[in-house]
This record gives sequence, structure tokens and C-alpha cells, in this order.
Amino acid sequence: MRFFESEEELQEKLRDFITAHKSRLGLVSLEAPLISNLPVWSNIALIRQYHQNMSWHEAKITIDRLLHRMGMDSIAEKRNPSLTKEERFYAMLLRAAMVRDAVVVLDKPFSILTNLRDGHFLMHILHKVDDLIAEAHIFDYSWAKERYGVTADAED
Amino acid sequence: MIRVTHLMIIRTLSPPFPTVCESIMISAIEQIGRVTLRTSSSVGSTLSFAARVFLRMFERRSYNSASRMVLINQIYFTSVQILPLFLFVAVIFGAMVNGMVFQLIKKIGQTDYLGRLLMGFVVMEISPFVTVLLIALRSSSAINAEIAVMKVNRELSTLEIFNIDLIDYLFVPRVLNGILSMVFLSSLFSLVVLSIGLFVSSVIFGTSVDAYIDTLLRSASLLDMIIVWFKCAAFGFFITLIPIILGMNASQELTSIPVAVLNGMVKVFSAIIIIEVLSSIVRFI
Amino acid sequence: MQKIELKVGLFVTITLLLIMASIGYVAYKKDMFSKVYTYTLSSKTGENLTEGMPVVFWGFNIGRVSSLELIDQGVLIQIKIPERHNRVIRSNSKFVLDKPLFGASRIVVETDNLNAPPLSPKTVSEISVSNDINEMIKRALPIVDKADRIMANVEQVTEKLADPGGDVNRILKNTETVTANLADPKGDVNRILKNAEALTARFAKKESVLEMAVGNTESVKSVHEALANVRDITVRIDKILAKADSITGKTGEEIYGPDGVLPLVRDILRDLVAKLTKIDTTLDNINKVSAEAVDSTKDLKVLRSELDAAITAIGNLAEELNRKIPFKAKPEIKLP
Repeated sequence: MRFFESEEELQEKLRDFITAHKSRLGLVSLEAPLISNLPVWSNIALIRQYHQNMSWHEAKITIDRLLHRMGMDSIAEKRNPSLTKEERFYAMLLRAAMVRDAVVVLDKPFSILTNLRDGHFLMHILHKVDDLIAEAHIFDYSWAKERYGVTADAED
Repeated sequence: MIRVTHLMIIRTLSPPFPTVCESIMISAIEQIGRVTLRTSSSVGSTLSFAARVFLRMFERRSYNSASRMVLINQIYFTSVQILPLFLFVAVIFGAMVNGMVFQLIKKIGQTDYLGRLLMGFVVMEISPFVTVLLIALRSSSAINAEIAVMKVNRELSTLEIFNIDLIDYLFVPRVLNGILSMVFLSSLFSLVVLSIGLFVSSVIFGTSVDAYIDTLLRSASLLDMIIVWFKCAAFGFFITLIPIILGMNASQELTSIPVAVLNGMVKVFSAIIIIEVLSSIVRFI
Repeated sequence: MQKIELKVGLFVTITLLLIMASIGYVAYKKDMFSKVYTYTLSSKTGENLTEGMPVVFWGFNIGRVSSLELIDQGVLIQIKIPERHNRVIRSNSKFVLDKPLFGASRIVVETDNLNAPPLSPKTVSEISVSNDINEMIKRALPIVDKADRIMANVEQVTEKLADPGGDVNRILKNTETVTANLADPKGDVNRILKNAEALTARFAKKESVLEMAVGNTESVKSVHEALANVRDITVRIDKILAKADSITGKTGEEIYGPDGVLPLVRDILRDLVAKLTKIDTTLDNINKVSAEAVDSTKDLKVLRSELDAAITAIGNLAEELNRKIPFKAKPEIKLP
């Protein structure tokens, strides 16, 4: 976890991080929304279809299985505007996890999940995709530390 | 005395008439220069982007699973969904054009010109033109709006963040779809119109099927067919590429979407006219 | 997605099949798949020769000119003949560059014996030229002059007939010769008449062909009217000669002698038949009309006016003869 005092600082550090991990980056951020004219499964499958040339049929099976694992079978055919905040977050996280050896970056996750009180839910779903990702990084403001249950300034 | 001084000052301050004319002329010339530079720069950047997309069409990596899926979807929305309407238009148009052509031929007694009229006018000119208008009205505007919306929603930057090349994933499938749809639909249009001609000639004018086909064959040339396919391909390429470019030019504001679509459609129409004229010149040469 | 794939697949497959079938059909009909034989012809000039011009045999397109090459001796012409038409190109084939009155030039293949050995592709045959338009106009122009000459002859005849103290005795001596000529079915006069009738009948049948080819009803009507005039005049001259036949015994050398009226009439009829033959050739060429029919309609109009002039002159002559030759009008002329 990385916490920053100001928006500018956060953005600068995030940019640097993205540049450093460009090839393996899986960003979960409002700055990287889902593609609105694709269903959720297609948004997630896109990464493997494009980078690994996985056939759409195979990709569909993989994504359906993952959504089932997350308990989100119902959102497979939904599109971005009709998703709830939680569903959208799941979809974005799964998409990020599709990158090979993914370095997942959660950019201010509470700005996506505005209804969350603390970070337990985040930890819970990150555990669910643990096998799919290599690293997970959270970028947020320092005043949100408490929501993650973090007391120290250092990264976790 | 005071008044006279004041007038003198005014006379001294206001520039003489020839100087005003000169400055107007210079600003007009500057304006012409600005417009010329802007237009040539716009045409230049469009052509350079067109060249990039065109070259990428021949790269294997442009045809990954994701791009293929986009291509299939695009063909479905551009060609298959429009097919019933398209065939209906082709039948109506075919009946109308054939009726007119046969009446005219009968009136002036130039039966030898039937094949030339049907092949040279209907197949070479009318079919591609009607097809390009239908596709431009339906798909070009959709592509323009889609890309502009993606730009405004930052979806294009999402793709870039995930290392998805926009040309490979978004542009090549759309442009290729434009080319294929134009060639296929235009050919279908020609076949439908010629079939209607067969019907009109045999049922209404009592011409034998063999005579009709023979007349068409005498005027048919494979070179002409190749030219018309190139023309269709050029139409398809530009009526999808221009909306993409204009869609990309949209800003982050929602209000820029209709502006992008409007500009895109005007440029698409200009491109259609330019290609039509160029192809006529090529045929004439 | 599967449904979309299926629909798109069906659309692409069916459309591609239709396109390929169309191309294949056109290519097959244009002999693109069959073996093509190339022959070389030579010509002293490249005038009226173009790449792609048709090669015709018995009115059918059997091939086309594929290339033209300028050499020191003239022009080398390569023609391509598909295998299925190659049987008409024999060693005795003649190649004629035909520039019809109507339509574009073409190379006409004339093969008398289709069983002759095939023409070797290495042989360079010389092409002969037949330019109908120029020849027709060239031939039509003197018609008016000839008609003037005819009228002068008529005047001469009239003068001779008007002279009662002329060479009547000389005429009478030659009567037998003349009568024999007229009586002979193979004689000049009878042959001329037969030809004239046959031609007139043939002209009468040509209207539909003309109309199809020219596509100009007015021009066709004009030609047809002209032909009808020819027919009338022929009938009238025929009648005159019938009169002559009936009075052969009663006419003299003034009429039948070497410088008399009848040889003049015979000359005139020969002229007429020659003209009719030329017109007939022209009309035959109309069958070969191609796309340039509209331009050639002008030629048809020129031809028609020339024809009118000739017909008027000959018609006047017939009237004159009918009026002035003293056949039955002077039965008092006695044989010696």
C-alpha cells in the first residue's frame, strides 16, 4: 500500500509506477473504465484474447469460471452502465488479473467503491484472485490509511 | 481655431485609404494561406494515418482473437444486419433502373447499348454509389460516434494502459470491415439489379435469357470488374477511416461528440465524391 | 457470439460464392480458361488497327488482336484465337481488315476449305484491306457524273431519231444481230435485267436488318424509298426493252447499230447494275454493324442522296426513251 498526501503526489507516483511496470500492469482505477460497448465477460477476456490470442470460446469458459468463483455469474453479459459499484469493481479487478504475471494496482479503490466503510472487502476479494496475480499495490491518500487498518506510513 | 486643430489631429491619426486596403488584402491573403496550410496539414495527417492503418492490415499480429471478434461483430452490424433493407432497396432500385434503361433502349433503338448501360452505368457507378451511401449513413456515423464516446469516456486510454494497440484492436477491424462490406454488398447489389434486369427483359420485353446474358457478357470486362472492386475497397477504407480519425479528435467533453460526428460525416461525403471523381478519371484514362 | 459468427460466416460464404461464380462464368464465356493460339499477321500500315479489335469468322467473334508491333516493313499483328475456334484458322485462311460502313474495324477470316492443314503459328500471313466506307463514297460520287453523261447520250439519241434521212438502212442491216442478242437468255440485256430484278427483290427484304443495325427509322425509311424507286425504274426500263423486243424487226441501225440507241441503253443498264451491286454490298455490310452505328448513319444519308441523284437521272432517261424511241410509235418503218 502506498499513501500520499496530495493528489499531485499520488498521480506522479502512480505514473512512475505504471511506466515502470507497463508490460505487466493491471490497473483498477476510475481512469481505466470498462469498455462500455462490451459485456463484462468480453471486457475481462479482451486482455487474454489480445495478448495471448486465446480463442473467444476458450476465453468465455475461463471468464465464466472466474465469475462463478467470485459469485458474479449474473454480470457476465451486463455492460458497464448497468453494473453496481461492487460488480464494476469485480469486473475491473478480474480484468487486471488477466494480465500475465499481473502487477495489479488499485488506484484509490474507495473512489470506486464509495459505499465501503473499510478495506476488509478489498482484502477479501484480492484473496479470491490471489492465484491469478503476481503483485497487488494500492495507491491512496494518506488520510484513508485507517480504512485499510494501517497505522504505519510504510508500504505494506 | 480649436476645432480646426482637432480635425487636423484626426486626419493625422487615421491611416490613409490605400493603407487600409493594403492591410485588408494582406489579412485576406494570410487567411488563404492559413486555410491552405491547415487543409494540407489535415490531408497530410489523414493520409499518413491511412498509410499506417493500411500497412498494419498486412501484419499478422493485427489478427489476434480480440481483433477477429471485433471484425466479425463489425461485419455483422454493417453487412448482415442491414441485409434485408439492402436487398429490398436493391430490388426496388433494380426494377426502377431496369425499367428506365429498357424503355430508353427501346425508344432510341440502340439495343447494342443495353449491356453497356447495365454494366457501365449500373454495375460500375450506381451499385458502389448506393452501397457506399447506405454504409456511410449507417456505419460511418456509428463508428464516428462510438470512437468519440470511447475517447470522452477515457476507454481509449484504458486500452493503452492494458497495452492494447488501438490500430490493431479498434481501427484495422473496422477498416477491413468497411472494405469487405463495400465489396460484398456492392457485388450483391449489382447481381440483384442484373437479375431484376433479366426478369424485366424476359417477362416484360420478351427478350430471351440467352440474349440478355450474351448482351451483358459482351460488355463485361474483368478489368472493369477489378477497377470497380478497387473503387469499392477505396470507398470502404475511407468511409471507416475518416470517422475513426474524427472520433479520435473529440475532446474530453460530451458536447464534442456531435461536433465530431458532424465533421466526420461531412468529410466522409467529401471523400466519397473525391473517390468517385478519381475513379472516373482512372477509367477515362 | 456463436450466432453472429454463423450469420457472418453464411453471409461471407454465400456472397463470395456468388462473386466467384460470376467471375468464373464471365471468364469461362470469355475463354479465359481455354488454351489460346497466337498467330502473327502483317500489314503495311497500322491504320484502323487497334489492340483488342475483334477477329471475325462468318460473322462470329472468334478472337481478338492482342498486340501490334511496328517493324521496318510495316506492322506485325498478333491475334489470339481460343482453342474452340482454332479449327477455322487453316493454312489457306485469308485475313482481311474490314472497315465496314457501319461500326468498328475488324479482321475477317476467310477460310474456303476447313479441312486444309492448320495454319502454323510461325507463319506470318499478310492482311488485305477492305475499306467499305471510303470505297462506297468514292464509287458513289461519280454516279452523278455518269448520270450527266447519260443525259447527254439521250440528247444524242433524240437528235439521231429526229433525223429522218439518217442511217436507217444501216440500222436495218444489223437488226438480226440485235434480235439474237435480245433473244439469247444469256445475252447482255437479259442478264442485266435478271440481275436488276434479283437485286431489287433482295433490297426489299433488308428493311428489318437495317432497322436493327442502324437503329434510325428515318434513315432506313429513306434507303427503303430509294430502293423502291430503283425497283420502279427497273420495271420501267424492263417495259421499254419489252417494247424493243416486240419491234426488233421494225427498227434500224440508227437504234441497234454500234453507235445507236440500244447499245447506249445497254451501257446505261450496265451502269445501273454496277451501282446496284455496290449498293447491295453496302447493305450487306449493314449486317455487320457495331457500336458506331450512330456515326455511320451520316454515311448512310450521303449514300442515300447519291443514290437519289442516280435514280433521278436514270428515271429521266427511261421517260425520255419511252417518249422518243420510235418503237411502236412508228410502225410504218418497213423492213427491206
